[in-house]
Amino acid sequence: MTVSGKDEPPPRPLAPATPAVAALPAAVAPVRRRNEALYYALRNRKLVIGFTIVLVFLLIAIIGPSFSRHEPLAYDGPPGIGPSADYWLGTTMFGQDIYSQFVSGLRASFLVGLFGGGLAAIVGMFIGFIAGYRGGIVDEILSMLTNIVLVIPTFAVLLVVAAYLSVRGIGSEAVFIGFTSWPWAARAIRSQTFSLTSRDFVDMARLSGRSTLQIIFGEIAPNMSSYLLLTFILLFGGAVLTAATLDFIGLGPTNGISLGLMMNYSVMNAALQLGMWWWFIPPGIAIAAIVGALYVMNVGLDEVFNPKLREA
Amino acid sequence: MLTVDNLSIAYRALSGDVLALKNASFSVADGEIMGLAGESGSGKSTLGRALIKLDNRMRHVSGTVSLDGETLPIDDDRAMIPYRFKRVSIVPQYAMSALNPTRRIGRMISELLTSRGMDFDKLRPELERRLLLVDLPVEVLTRYPIELSGGQKQRVVTVISTLLNPSLLIADEITSALDVSTQKAVARSLVEFRDRGFIKSAIVITHDLSILAQMADSILVMHGGRLVERGSVKAIVDAPMHPYTKHLIGSLPEVGVRYADRKLAGVSGLNAALEAMSSPDGDRDRPLREISPGHWVAAWGQA
Repeated sequence: MTVSGKDEPPPRPLAPATPAVAALPAAVAPVRRRNEALYYALRNRKLVIGFTIVLVFLLIAIIGPSFSRHEPLAYDGPPGIGPSADYWLGTTMFGQDIYSQFVSGLRASFLVGLFGGGLAAIVGMFIGFIAGYRGGIVDEILSMLTNIVLVIPTFAVLLVVAAYLSVRGIGSEAVFIGFTSWPWAARAIRSQTFSLTSRDFVDMARLSGRSTLQIIFGEIAPNMSSYLLLTFILLFGGAVLTAATLDFIGLGPTNGISLGLMMNYSVMNAALQLGMWWWFIPPGIAIAAIVGALYVMNVGLDEVFNPKLREA
Repeated sequence: MLTVDNLSIAYRALSGDVLALKNASFSVADGEIMGLAGESGSGKSTLGRALIKLDNRMRHVSGTVSLDGETLPIDDDRAMIPYRFKRVSIVPQYAMSALNPTRRIGRMISELLTSRGMDFDKLRPELERRLLLVDLPVEVLTRYPIELSGGQKQRVVTVISTLLNPSLLIADEITSALDVSTQKAVARSLVEFRDRGFIKSAIVITHDLSILAQMADSILVMHGGRLVERGSVKAIVDAPMHPYTKHLIGSLPEVGVRYADRKLAGVSGLNAALEAMSSPDGDRDRPLREISPGHWVAAWGQA
């Protein structure tokens, strides 16, 4: 039932006469595309500044403790002296070395950020991917769960839970924060997944019988990798801030030290009124700088990944 | 040979099921490229999808589909997996988005083939041969989709979809997003694939009758979820019988003719066609009748 070839030339030249190679960029193209993100990243002031600040504090947190000559919680120094050669950042009213407290506290903050933010990102991605990809009743149920957790006054719950636990450590704090701060991430990832799921390449993968996991991690996630990174960074900053707040009101680790706890002690012992600025300024600046730098970094990364936002 | 018998497909909606395809019966012979024409919402894409995969919202109401004498389990998603791409394949509506932007094309093809249980390395020579056939260099396999033009992507997708020599290929609006000259190249490649036996038969879904006139052997016209006319390209274009087909043919743009200069079958023409189709008892559900060899028309009006 072939009706073709009436006034058509015999079945052949089916493409433009020009060789298709001409339309393809030179062979270096894929490499150049890889470096494109790096190119814009290095020229983005927000990203570079934010990243540098976070990196500096991270280095202090990693290598700082090996320089401390005193135990963070030992009462072995002269009480309430300002910064000196022996006590770099001074001592507390009880003779504890503030430098040692600061570097250990910084380490704790990064750990809470990493595990709390990481846990929230994992839960958020899991729920967001499944809800967005599956749709229908699964989406309804997961979205309802997300909305419920979203409207629960998270901080009040954290207070109650933290107050009831007699022994609190960095780990449990990270877990609380992780399990309460995922909802907005889940919602954002769900809607992204939803829009990607309707693309034809996902359809092709589905038609070919690839499994749900293969499709989510092979087809959908790589197309929103920058988005996932941004989500994690925001959750990281949020977790650091929440942990500092919890510690500040006295619900922090009972067996350690953290930046928020340092602020808590300094306020309880009227460091401000006594003029002991060296007690509360370092942790205050560190928290503000880390969280602020993470947010600035986030804006910078957004500009790097999204060509529309690039300045030049 | 594809035989569709009395197929009805509904969409699930909050207010109940909406019948999008009503009692469709037709067949496509081996070696035939059948065009499926109709306006948006006429059910042509629904019909195309139903032959390969019902999505979550679609429900199989009645009817059977058989391909080469074998009944396709279209209402069983899992049972359909072995048929997809091997027996019945599809070129999706938007080829531009049918390639994963984060994967090199070769890797994507290899993944798709692996999940179909095929060995990529064994098929690679054939894949390369077919890429060359559609004037694509083998190097496209190492490229990202963003590095190809729209027409090149469309050809890559067509090659992927037909790589396993399916019995039936469904091409859903494959030319709609392309400019006229690229359209022609894509249409030609489909005809060539048929001539070379890569595909046995094809259903080309489009609202563009002029492209069908160039590449199809026969045309099936749909309106409102029903089949209204089926015949050879010549019969449909030169001697349409059904009022809706007449309206469709009358709406084709002609180069060099201004709207003001010709009586256009515009909205008023459509209304007239719809009026002619309606019967006093409100029943528009008439089966196709063969009025001359190879030319079927649904009854309309008071007939």
